[in-house]
Amino acid sequence: MSLAENNPGRDASASRRALSGVLREPLVHFLAIGAVLLGAYSLFERAPQEEASPKEIVLSVDSMAQLLMIFESQWKRQPTQDEFNAMIEDRIRQDILYREALALGLDKEDTIVKRRMAQKMQFLAEDVAAQQEPTSDELRAWFAGHTDLFTVPARISFRHLYFSPDKRGGSARDDAGKALAGLDGAPQNAALTGSLGDHFMFQDYYGDRASQAIAGEFGVEFADAVATLQPGSWQGPVKSGYGWHLVFVDNKTAARVPAFEEVEQEVKTAWLGTQKAEAWRKAYEEMRAKYTVIMPVPAEADEAGAPEGTVAQTPGQAAGAPL
Amino acid sequence: MPEAAPLILKNPDDPADVAKVFSYLVSLVSKPPIKAFMSPEVAGSIWKQNVKIADENNKPGTFTAFCSYEYTSQFNFRNLHRNVYFRDCAKVADQPFSSMDSWHPEDLWKWMDTQREAGNELLAISHNANLSDGWMYPSDMDSLGRPIDAAWAASRDRNERLVEIKQIKGQSETHPLLSPNDEFANYEIASFLIGLPEDSGRVPAIVGSYARQALKDGVTMQDTRGYNPYKFGFVAGADSHNSGAPYRQNNFYGGHGINDGSIETRMAGHIFTGSDVRWESPAGLSVAWAEENTRASIWDAMYRKETYATSGTRIKLRFFGGWDYKDGMLADQDWVKAAYAGGTTMGADLPAVSGEARAPSFVLWAVKDPTSANLDRIQIVKGWSKNGQSFEKIYDVAWAGDREPDWTGEVPPIESTVDIENATYADTVGAAELKTVWTDPDFDASQHAFYYARVLEIPTPRWSAIQAKLLGMAPPDVVPATQQERAWSSPIWYTPTAEARQAAAPGLTVADLTANGATALSEDELKTLIVGKSIWVTNTVTGEPIKIRYDQGGTAVVLHVGTGSLQPSLSGDLPQRSYQTTAANYEIKDGKIVTYVSSTPISMAVYKSEASQGGQTLHDQATYYGARSNEFGYANYELLLKPPANLVALEKSDMIPNDEQAKYLNVPVKVSE
Repeated sequence: MSLAENNPGRDASASRRALSGVLREPLVHFLAIGAVLLGAYSLFERAPQEEASPKEIVLSVDSMAQLLMIFESQWKRQPTQDEFNAMIEDRIRQDILYREALALGLDKEDTIVKRRMAQKMQFLAEDVAAQQEPTSDELRAWFAGHTDLFTVPARISFRHLYFSPDKRGGSARDDAGKALAGLDGAPQNAALTGSLGDHFMFQDYYGDRASQAIAGEFGVEFADAVATLQPGSWQGPVKSGYGWHLVFVDNKTAARVPAFEEVEQEVKTAWLGTQKAEAWRKAYEEMRAKYTVIMPVPAEADEAGAPEGTVAQTPGQAAGAPL
Repeated sequence: MPEAAPLILKNPDDPADVAKVFSYLVSLVSKPPIKAFMSPEVAGSIWKQNVKIADENNKPGTFTAFCSYEYTSQFNFRNLHRNVYFRDCAKVADQPFSSMDSWHPEDLWKWMDTQREAGNELLAISHNANLSDGWMYPSDMDSLGRPIDAAWAASRDRNERLVEIKQIKGQSETHPLLSPNDEFANYEIASFLIGLPEDSGRVPAIVGSYARQALKDGVTMQDTRGYNPYKFGFVAGADSHNSGAPYRQNNFYGGHGINDGSIETRMAGHIFTGSDVRWESPAGLSVAWAEENTRASIWDAMYRKETYATSGTRIKLRFFGGWDYKDGMLADQDWVKAAYAGGTTMGADLPAVSGEARAPSFVLWAVKDPTSANLDRIQIVKGWSKNGQSFEKIYDVAWAGDREPDWTGEVPPIESTVDIENATYADTVGAAELKTVWTDPDFDASQHAFYYARVLEIPTPRWSAIQAKLLGMAPPDVVPATQQERAWSSPIWYTPTAEARQAAAPGLTVADLTANGATALSEDELKTLIVGKSIWVTNTVTGEPIKIRYDQGGTAVVLHVGTGSLQPSLSGDLPQRSYQTTAANYEIKDGKIVTYVSSTPISMAVYKSEASQGGQTLHDQATYYGARSNEFGYANYELLLKPPANLVALEKSDMIPNDEQAKYLNVPVKVSE
């Protein structure tokens, strides 16, 4: 098939329509993270030019050097003359369209623009919070209060005999039960597996596995059941996603809290995460406190002397308000 | 940097300090720019943050987090998205190449090449091809309007190692119109253009949007032009915008925030960005056969395409191809080692055959997800190319229960245990494990081919039926109430040796025809030949004849096409159209007969020849040859001026005498129990 039907060079207005379509498209906005700040800095750069004259586009040596720098960081080489010219033209086009859009007031009451600006504020607030380096003592103290986040899970070693519904149909469970009777008091001898059970598609012995790993292999039901078995004898039948099993637990290792030194790096990462969230929460609270929000209320609730049809939320009232 | 000093928050607990930093930040917007903030180091800080998060959460052996990003090219609403994965986070670029830099994937590949040359290994995965409006897998022209050539193919092959075959917005394996003989193709179809205004009349293209067709075009391009841009492996994705991936039918919470985040928005069929939420599907999963759970090991497996995809359940699948696999080898405890040693695995080429010419055999093994349904069957999807045409055939190779293939060779559907009212199913049918060694019964050593495995679970309720039950309403009728989860292996390719290729009789090309003095019919000649007439057309590659009636008003019907007939790519569902005598539009344009596969035009030029062209049928007058626009320069059709008297050659050579005809009547067909 042919892709020539829409030659982009031939139809610049179509390109612009499509571009504006893309910019309106909400999915795109989740993705263009890198472009966010890039856009922000080109905003900064535009300010002095606009002061000079609304119909003048001034490109300074610095701003051109900036274009070069961006190109080099992506391509690890200098642009060709053609590439450079195209970059300059792109920048000019962007400036012109941006100014024309502002002149038409296209930035006003635009949900996407609002959302983007709000998002930038949050990014900046979180960034500055991340600057603070914790001391080792601070981390140690925090770790002591949050050991549940770092617990090393319990581990189990077990062997099993498999009774396959593919081979035995509905009698797999009964067959397992009968085999168990014959195993009463038998040791965990691996040689038994061949004669009593069916060939299992993965392993016959699982050493030192956490419950999550067992669940990944056999399903949650089986992992939970094995966790309750006492070591030292054949037990079952236990159901898995594949059929029925007899299980011999060799040993169990209890869950434990690691020493701080084992997990210091993870503790630091987690600590920074909470600092970031906390800094953002506080910064927002500060800003929120400066505002009064006026909301409409249902007519019957309009008896407390608020202006008709609205209720004012002072900073004090805002706490816990269902916004 | 000193310029940033006022930005450093000394004490986040001190409101005065926070306020000071904030007012400084706000003041920046109205002042001249601070040059120090404009370096790529700062502008790329979000990307750096991304890399940092990946590094912090990467736990070799336990949890691998890649440095990666999405190249979100969406020119004119066509989804040309690619996911780019870096092998080593320590080497990533300061700034990734985004669709803001260029919407042309060719420019992305160019950038990727420079990264690779600088020692920064990376690969791209095409994503949501089904929403690309036919632009993900072109065969003639690239996105810059240039003819596709060997350099383009090599660039794509170097950079785009994998394609995403399923995600929340549907599957990109194939479409029923492209694969009319695949009874499992009618699965999680989503065909719309993201963000297309609701009042737009645009119809998205099906042709060029699906992986199986691209694989078929790929081997055909290899055969006719000497390069294959579409030698990719399969993975799957979520494309969730919620930072969580809903990959199970019984836990489907949507992927687009408030647009599908509540059961009410989902079941009300909320419309947004051109989509009906009910079309959505749980996320797919990707599996890489890697030596260990580390970035380098998994990335290398992705690069060599030793991957498979699932529709969301954790089906396990192995797939090997070779020349000497023994039927009983799967009984051996160490069969995986033997399979690696004796051939090649998913994503690779069959090794060269040594010794006597023979058909390749394949080792297949699948195990169910222990938390999902039993398995129904394993299939092999084979695609191959001959004389510019490509074909596909699906073989059932291992299946649960005691079903026997029916007279068409297909294994009948497995019993459905789904109770739609209660949205439940039972594992009383199906198997926990399926395995076999299969040898291609139709192998032709002269033809380029690919093979991939597809595993199907037994039917289970679709998420929309489960949530309908929760709301006490009927399942939505715009999507199926049940579905079969599945897994797709990356393909294994077969390339004929030069000797094997040359052993096959060469096909007839347009170049051959014109060199022999044939001329293309003018528009008037073409009209005289077909309009208001019926003609027989034989596909000389398959030997299948078809009758076409072209009426005066621009509609045509095809007749006499059987469900078991072999049809080349982009024929549409001819057996159904033929049996039901459903007309479709045709037009004569630029001296060609134009018909449509969905919205995509396919044209046929007709040549008149006085000379013998070595065709397969007998002629007693001037011969007409047809060349379809999607068959890479071959003229594979003969227009017969004399219809065949009978379409079936009976094996019995003797006529049955009239007085014995009664023997063939009044036959009891109901067998008493």
